[in-house]
Amino acid sequence: MTDTEIAVELSGVDKWFSILQVLHDVNLTVRRGEKVVVCGPSGSGKSTMIRCINYLEKHQKGRIVVNGTELTDNRKSIDLVRQNVGMVFQNFNLYPHLTVLENCTLAPRWVKKVSRKDAEAVALAYLERVRIPDKAHFYPSQLSGGQQQRAAIARSLCMNPKIMLFDEPTSALDPELVREVLDTMAQLATDGMTMVCVTHEMGFARQVADRVVFMDAGRIVETAPPEEFFSNPQEGRTRAFLNQILH
Amino acid sequence: MNFTYILEALPDLLSGLKMTLIVSFLAILLSCLIGVLGAILRTSGIKPLQYAVTAYVEFIRGTPYLVQIFFIFYGLPSLGLRFSIFWSGVIALTAWASAFQIENFRAGLAAVGSGMHDASASLGLKRWQHSVFVVLPLAARAALPSSMNTIVATVKNSAYLQAIGLVELTFVAVDRIAYDFRAIEMFASICVIYLICVFSISGLGYMVERRLSRPFGGR
Repeated sequence: MTDTEIAVELSGVDKWFSILQVLHDVNLTVRRGEKVVVCGPSGSGKSTMIRCINYLEKHQKGRIVVNGTELTDNRKSIDLVRQNVGMVFQNFNLYPHLTVLENCTLAPRWVKKVSRKDAEAVALAYLERVRIPDKAHFYPSQLSGGQQQRAAIARSLCMNPKIMLFDEPTSALDPELVREVLDTMAQLATDGMTMVCVTHEMGFARQVADRVVFMDAGRIVETAPPEEFFSNPQEGRTRAFLNQILH
Repeated sequence: MNFTYILEALPDLLSGLKMTLIVSFLAILLSCLIGVLGAILRTSGIKPLQYAVTAYVEFIRGTPYLVQIFFIFYGLPSLGLRFSIFWSGVIALTAWASAFQIENFRAGLAAVGSGMHDASASLGLKRWQHSVFVVLPLAARAALPSSMNTIVATVKNSAYLQAIGLVELTFVAVDRIAYDFRAIEMFASICVIYLICVFSISGLGYMVERRLSRPFGGR
């Protein structure tokens, strides 16, 4: 595997929250175009791990290389990585005082210095793609949870990222709204986006993932393609976890 | 109650009101600016600045307002800092109101969730862009109700400045009573005038609040 085929590489990553070690020697390589689903029990470090990929969390040991740039506390490396990595959050984190369209154009206009007109054209195209073009001039609070999350996905896509991170994107949604967000993500996967998704949606993992990563207690316990992961998990802890959530 | 007397006194009272409004306006403007700045310093993470702002707020909140006015008007000249009655008044009122506005805006800043920071950081916004486009508007909305309270209190507290001889509304009333002994007429009149001012301001604040909180809810 050559360097240009690697989107994200974590090697020997350790992280502590003060005295609590939350990541232990995490090693993970994500190829370009690959879809990786990360699952594991609450507190297993899966959110922390993907938050390290765009430096929302700082790792203390090991190396994280994203798109050929190693993340250090050098501002330039952080900015460079963030330009190529989009992120979608559990609680959407849309700006409540801005319309959906303004949410989508703020960063392109100020970070990429795109003109307002061009930014709005791009934003409307992505809103079309996540099927809420009619909500462009609404405020987030006027949208359903599923629509808000799709707006948040559109906002990320407006920065034209090469890699998308999803941190439990459907966990805050009413059950009947989960589908529309997962469909949007599946469509994005079909279009060839590199994706790292923390999720408990095992149906989505089966359907979309190239690999499933299982984490527990800050370690990657098992990594396997979904068919193998679900039919023949190797580790006891993986089996225990799957028994819990698949029934 | 002699209403003819009130009518006679009205021009004097209105010129006092004018001074009340000028001093209050300046103090409100300056204290809001200092409030935002102080709140930012207090949450800046720069320890010496944080301590300085905290010490200032605690000093103002922990001492009587009247003492602060005397301190500025009678105390500071012996340190070589001499201000006119007008500017002493503005400074005293601003100093008092600023401490409360700092607290209001600090609470406003605290109300902006960490999720907003995550969103801006992941989109690549610079710190200042995040502050200007996201944090300040949201913090201002969160701080508005308590900040309006302080603004109203600022107008009312301008009455204390009669103690250093600033010819504002209360001074005019007290002054006339010293000559004409029409205490009930004068105090009733200025109460009504203060009430009109306060209701106008809080009505305005309520309108702004409704305008800003629509259509989005909390956060």
